[in-house]
Amino acid sequence: MNKTLRISFSLKNTYRVNSILYALKQIPLVKKLLPASLYRVRGLKRFANVLSILWEILSMFLWKILYFATMVCGMGALYEKVPQDRVFLHILLLLTVIGAFLNTGMFNPTRDKYYAVILMRMDAREFALVDYGYTILKGIIGFLPCTLFFGLARGVSLPLCLLIPFAAAGMKLTVAAGYLWDYERRGVAYNENRLGKWIWAGAGILLAAAYGLPALGVVIPPAAVAAVFAASLVTGAVSACRIVRFSGYRPMLQRILSQLFSQMDAARGAAKQAAENLISADAAIVSRKKGFEYLNELFVKRHRKILWKSSLRIAAVCLALLFIVLLVLWLEPQAKEATNEIVMTFLPYFVFIMYAINRGTGFTKALFFNCDHSLLTYSFYKQPKMVLKLFSIRLREIMKINLVPAFVIGAGLALLLWASGGTENPLDYAVLIVSILCMSMFFSVHYLTIYYLLQPYNAGTEMKSGTYPLVLSVTYLVCFVIMQLRMEILLFGVLCIAFCVLYCAAACILVYKLAPKTFRLRS
Amino acid sequence: MKFVIAHLEKHFEKKEVLRDIDFTFESGKIYGLLGRNGAGKTTLFNCLNRDIKADAGSFYLEEDGVRREVRAEDIGYVLSTPTVPEFLTGREFLKFFLDINEKTVKHPRTIDEYFDEMSIVPEDRDKLLKDYSHGMKNKMQMLVNIIAEPALLLLDEPLTSLDVVVAEEMKQLLRSLKKDRITIFSTHLMDLALDLCDEIVLLSGGRLEAVDKSDLDDEAFREKIIAALREDGHE
Repeated sequence: MNKTLRISFSLKNTYRVNSILYALKQIPLVKKLLPASLYRVRGLKRFANVLSILWEILSMFLWKILYFATMVCGMGALYEKVPQDRVFLHILLLLTVIGAFLNTGMFNPTRDKYYAVILMRMDAREFALVDYGYTILKGIIGFLPCTLFFGLARGVSLPLCLLIPFAAAGMKLTVAAGYLWDYERRGVAYNENRLGKWIWAGAGILLAAAYGLPALGVVIPPAAVAAVFAASLVTGAVSACRIVRFSGYRPMLQRILSQLFSQMDAARGAAKQAAENLISADAAIVSRKKGFEYLNELFVKRHRKILWKSSLRIAAVCLALLFIVLLVLWLEPQAKEATNEIVMTFLPYFVFIMYAINRGTGFTKALFFNCDHSLLTYSFYKQPKMVLKLFSIRLREIMKINLVPAFVIGAGLALLLWASGGTENPLDYAVLIVSILCMSMFFSVHYLTIYYLLQPYNAGTEMKSGTYPLVLSVTYLVCFVIMQLRMEILLFGVLCIAFCVLYCAAACILVYKLAPKTFRLRS
Repeated sequence: MKFVIAHLEKHFEKKEVLRDIDFTFESGKIYGLLGRNGAGKTTLFNCLNRDIKADAGSFYLEEDGVRREVRAEDIGYVLSTPTVPEFLTGREFLKFFLDINEKTVKHPRTIDEYFDEMSIVPEDRDKLLKDYSHGMKNKMQMLVNIIAEPALLLLDEPLTSLDVVVAEEMKQLLRSLKKDRITIFSTHLMDLALDLCDEIVLLSGGRLEAVDKSDLDDEAFREKIIAALREDGHE
């Protein structure tokens, strides 16, 4: 028993340590400092080991605390009609039932189980029991401080707070025993990552009951909650005996674990498949152009769904919103002043909006998966003048696509400004329109440039660059920070226009200098 | 015409994959490139195709004693997994390719003539490439690589996953194409190499080395190759 626990833990740990080292190797700059024999270096391994064990301990509490703080108490605080202790128990009970079904701990195919049971042929029953026992124990230890801290604060009695962690474990045990019984009876191995529609439907109903009923002022009476929890203790104890006695662990685990790799293959192929599904099979799509213009026109037409169609839809929504606001201003003239103030100072906010509606990431992704992934293996396609020619065509195209909603937003804002009382400086109107158009141009250039400079995928469509996702996250972060700013139109607009123009110029120069070398498949 | 590789080197971090590749290939021949797993065959091809940068050394074409640089259009590179732009039809892909390479395609023919040559039937010609079978994608890839009549044709394990009929068609095609160009064909299949190739070249220990058949019979030649590869071992 002891040995199994040790092996099972060290397997999980080794896997985690190597994942940490692998992740370190993906970070730009850091990877240059790390030796090739990374996985052999003692000190690094020790460092990763410490991280791994810390994570094991932290994760025991961290998720539970987050869960209690948000799902149970955070949501619970929204209901004012019902006493807090009742809401707490009501939500906790229903979520615990859902958790018992969706997060069993035993029927989750994971890699460490696959390595232990299939590859290393460990005793399946012993491994399953030890692994499951450890999971359940971890659950109880993680739960206990949470029920005590959050429960007592909401006026739940101490005995009940002490009972709940064990009762939650009892519920998990009961469900697991039920699934094992079902396996013995029908031979169906339950995989918690492939849930049937009934379980989803049941979970949906329980979830609706958990958060919907308190809003109506209805909660399960505390006595009933206590009774269900107490009953789970009893059924849990009985179920534990069944689980220990169950003998078919190997065939059952083999069946679940064999699905693991088809799951992973499916996930890997899914991105490619999803991209291929975007291609329109409309036979009426043709092009009369030549060369790269021909390629580009066919690409844009066959990807209308994610390019023009979605950009036009965004433009239409913006237009509709504009009309609604104009209508409100007409009907309620007293709203004018507030609107005017908002429009005058909210320009930074629109950086984030322009970020959110830009079609750039979808465009570059489709470009890679459906076009460049294959064509980059042909040498004619990689000749410097061809790369640059196509870059300029694509840049023109994505700018056109993004400009439509940008123009609607820019002109709409100017119109709103005018309709809500106008401004002393007529330059504001022009700055509004131009700066929004510049933002749109900036995002178009930005995404295409980083794609051409960092082309992050390899021939197997795997992401091989750490820098690319980093740049994307930084982009998001910067936009998010700018959103918090409040600045006058003129100041922010002029700064924004200057930045966009400079950035676009710099980006194009960089692409022209570097892209013929960087626009390659990663190896 | 000759294709000369001179002292080509490539290493990844500390691992030397290509140590000193020094070899002269002659036109009109198919070279079978054999090497053990991880010997660096694909790395060599990627260096020649300039997908990755070699650390040292050079390669060039030599015609009537005059050296010239290998340009991108001199190389056709056929990969083991065929990749074709999924959003185009077979016909559109060919049209695009012919448009782009107008100046370099020496003897252009009509698109349907090319399809006929590759035995791609009329009803498949206007289908999206994403709906092509593996064998048909392979044919398209091969076709695009040979239309421009490149001086150097690199093939990385191209026949391994094809059905027997397509594989036979491809072999015939390669034989018919070998005149006036250098064909280098990497494979793990000894029988295929002996059947199709005029010369056998081993990549071992980061070096290229021809295996002289002289007057050996097939069986003895085979044993000689295996013995030479075995020596390589794994360092």
